[in-house]
Amino acid sequence: MDKNRRPKNIIFSTIVLFTFFVISLFISELLEASTLIPALFVLAVFLIAMYTDGYWYGVAGSIVSVMALNYAFTFPYFKFNFSIPVNLVSAVIMLVITIFTSALMTKVRQQDKLQAEGEKEKMRANLLRAVSHDLRTPLTTIYGSSSAIVEKYDDLSKEQMIQLANGIRDDSQWLVGMVENLLTVTRIDNVKMKIVKSPVVLEELIDAVLVRFRKRYPNQEIEVSIPEDFVMIPMDATLIEQVVVNILENAVQHAVGMTRLILKVYIFNQKAFFEIIDDGCGIDKERMNDIFTGYFEKKNAPADCQKSSMGIGLSVCASIIRAHEGSIMVENNSQGGCCFRFCLDMEDEENEQ
Amino acid sequence: MSNKYKILVVEDENNIRNFIKTILETNGYQVLCANNGSNGKTMFLSHCPNLVILDLGLPDMDGLDLIRGIREEFATPIIILSARTNEIDKVKALDLGANDYVTKPFGTNEFLARVRATLRSTRQEEGERQVGKSFTVNNMTIDYERRSIVLDGEEIKLTQTEYNIVELLSIHAGRVLTYSEIIKKIWGYADAGSVKKLQVNMANIRKKFHEKPGENKYIKNELSVGYSFKDEEK
Repeated sequence: MDKNRRPKNIIFSTIVLFTFFVISLFISELLEASTLIPALFVLAVFLIAMYTDGYWYGVAGSIVSVMALNYAFTFPYFKFNFSIPVNLVSAVIMLVITIFTSALMTKVRQQDKLQAEGEKEKMRANLLRAVSHDLRTPLTTIYGSSSAIVEKYDDLSKEQMIQLANGIRDDSQWLVGMVENLLTVTRIDNVKMKIVKSPVVLEELIDAVLVRFRKRYPNQEIEVSIPEDFVMIPMDATLIEQVVVNILENAVQHAVGMTRLILKVYIFNQKAFFEIIDDGCGIDKERMNDIFTGYFEKKNAPADCQKSSMGIGLSVCASIIRAHEGSIMVENNSQGGCCFRFCLDMEDEENEQ
Repeated sequence: MSNKYKILVVEDENNIRNFIKTILETNGYQVLCANNGSNGKTMFLSHCPNLVILDLGLPDMDGLDLIRGIREEFATPIIILSARTNEIDKVKALDLGANDYVTKPFGTNEFLARVRATLRSTRQEEGERQVGKSFTVNNMTIDYERRSIVLDGEEIKLTQTEYNIVELLSIHAGRVLTYSEIIKKIWGYADAGSVKKLQVNMANIRKKFHEKPGENKYIKNELSVGYSFKDEEK
């Protein structure tokens, strides 16, 4: 299935067999407990079946084991002899046991995989359903307004025309944000939650975030406070940029009555902490628990509530931070408003790849 | 007879091409269109446009090959249209000689600003390549002869390397220079720490220029791609 793993599987099987062969030699020499030896070989084949891919390494291992057993550890020693019925029977039993073991292991593994895939599929289906539902609202605006302009441009006043065009622009901008998030989801999905981190200059990241944010909300002030020093944080820059933008957007859209929006970064204990603080209405207690996952499970969202879709932004944030092996949380401030906080490791883990 | 700038748009999506054509025409440019790479190449050779706007994802050929083909003989400025998620393609295109890129989806203002900036900077490169000129943007003047930079009437003290970087960027103002391009021109060679060295220098320059994140008054930072110098008052 996967050619790259073949050498690894072969080497692993060889090492296991060889090690157990040597152990068996010692045991039969030192302890003279030859009854142990078949059991040892069964264990060896069991290990091979468990830690290699597919069927064949286990079967091959079991045949080699039978050979080795027959050759070295049964009378006549260091000679192949299948003519003695006892040897022959024990060889057959051994072969059957090992083949069953590896067959069983393969089956168990396949089932695990199927189950994991099923769950992923379910999540994807949920996401797809929710997203397609959310896409319909802005598409209605865009389609409706643009056909109104195309079909009735003579009857429309300039103001009406501009109003329609503005609606198109706003809703397509919203679509852009949604698509960015979906792309991010698939991007994390593709690499199986493994992301490539490279050192990013904090100041440049914040700069990119602010430029992107101001393009969409030119009138929203953000108070920024970051360390004076030159700070580099290993991360996937595009993804973390997305996280910060999502949380900032979330504040703009949901923190009712907000007057200040603060973006703060500080370093503590070899970790970089990012805080996005607002003084808006805060978050309901019951929503707090599932704010980072809620999107996928929420089935009875109000039908035309466009804002419900921001949920996807926050769950995307959570999966990005999880993929970075960081943590994310949210809490209400004592003076009102809420604070989103996530942290990333400062240490470079290049060797992990 | 018209002496309008001629712009060639190579883009396979009909709607995007139309919309680009419309906004360019309403802003006084003459627009030529091609819907694939080979048409683009033919149009380019027969019309000699002043600027090419190129989508990287073409049906018949890799947009990067088209850049390579044009750059073999021509210095015509090229603006790339690219998707946000593809940093590697952006860097490749810029390293092959593209002048700038615009990320899809984009707004009219942003797009037109890039077009203006690119046309202006190539005009400067072609016409006025005398040394000893100076460069001014947003209250900052760079005097190439005296190697000095004055900001709001005050001279900014930069190290040799810092000045060299600013000079390089300002000569190519409006154009994104990739990390590797800057490193090659400033240090002549690249090693494992080069990018970090460049980023540290840039951080110091930003500090001396009193740049605040998100403002980009003088230098624009293109995350994980490179830097460019502002060439338009704002």
